[in-house]
Amino acid sequence: MSRPRPAEARGPRGARRAAAATPANPAKLRAGWATRFLRNVLLWLLPAWAVWALVTPLYNGFLLGAAQGLLHLTERPDVTALYRHPASLHDAYIARLDFPPARRLVKPFRVTDAHFHLVLAAALFLAVPGVPWRERLRSLGWALLAIVAFDVLLIFLQVKTVYATALGPWSQAHYGPFARNAYGLAWHLFDLPFKLALPFALWAGFNLRLLLGEPAPEHG
Amino acid sequence: MARRPVPPTDRPPTEAAPRQSPPARRREITFLVLFVVLLGAGFALISLNWVNDHAIEPFTAGVARASAVALRLLGQDVEMRGTILRSSHFAVNIRNGCNGVEAMLIFLAAVLAFPAPWRARAAGLALGVVAIQAVNLVRVVALFLTGVYLPRFFDASHTVIWQTLVILFAVLLWIFWANRLAGGREPAAAG
Repeated sequence: MSRPRPAEARGPRGARRAAAATPANPAKLRAGWATRFLRNVLLWLLPAWAVWALVTPLYNGFLLGAAQGLLHLTERPDVTALYRHPASLHDAYIARLDFPPARRLVKPFRVTDAHFHLVLAAALFLAVPGVPWRERLRSLGWALLAIVAFDVLLIFLQVKTVYATALGPWSQAHYGPFARNAYGLAWHLFDLPFKLALPFALWAGFNLRLLLGEPAPEHG
Repeated sequence: MARRPVPPTDRPPTEAAPRQSPPARRREITFLVLFVVLLGAGFALISLNWVNDHAIEPFTAGVARASAVALRLLGQDVEMRGTILRSSHFAVNIRNGCNGVEAMLIFLAAVLAFPAPWRARAAGLALGVVAIQAVNLVRVVALFLTGVYLPRFFDASHTVIWQTLVILFAVLLWIFWANRLAGGREPAAAG
């Protein structure tokens, strides 16, 4: 591999650019970092979206299974079933097996809407300039784990909120006013702000030091 | 003697010393806790019926009005009723999630949670709100046109593409603000 040429060897423009970005001019250096970050995010957005679109059918199946398992921990006997829509990779039904067959499918919902924030997370984590690849991938791995856990909880809350608020007299008979309001608020918070802000909050958790002017943690 | 210019590196301006100090960790945790608390409080506030009816709905109607004006400028025959935009081919109801308030609240919580001078925060908030609403206006107009000309793509465009783009815009705007306008600190001294 060739060694990088000194700035002077790259001509006057290279030398000028290099001189402008010396530690004596940290504002310029900061601006350069932010611009590279923006460029990288835009470059990563399409590949992240493509991978997400490819794995979405599998991930939807996993989410439905995991959320159904979590729901079964809160009910005796196990009466909730989350069925995939036969004609769509993105949709599913909430079913209650203790309801009469004609009313068993209580609500359809779109599973894919729960996890499009994965695209944002991948683009943000992979785009950070100046962080070694191993560290970027490790941070992304932890972030994805957190997001998967969040997504399972989101589907769980969605089903519980449907039970508590959307089934008319049945909801009123089985859930009190406090439970209905608590599930409604939790669903409101999880489905919009927390879902949308989660990639950013996770990114900040791993990378805020770059903006706070703190030294980076040691990495191997 | 002239100093030799140092070649620019791909390192971020703040990555200098190998170990993170406890105060640094504390500042990160403070930021994250404040961010989540402000975000939760902001969204709990706008979920109150009174706030929704007296602030969010009129604001959303303003978004609809601005979108209708933009669509008419683009040659669409659009009429507006409340938060509903309607033409002979397509109609949309602009609701929470489509009015840019979510992105604004995320940006606001992040700006207020970040340790910066109040003047920089005020400037960031003012610029951020205007910029996010401008992008949201583009989103509503683009979605309406998608509904008119490419209705097959409306659902995916509505939830996946434009929500991601608007939130991404807010996040990138915040990163630029924190990096450049909030006076991001000098590089830490190498230890």
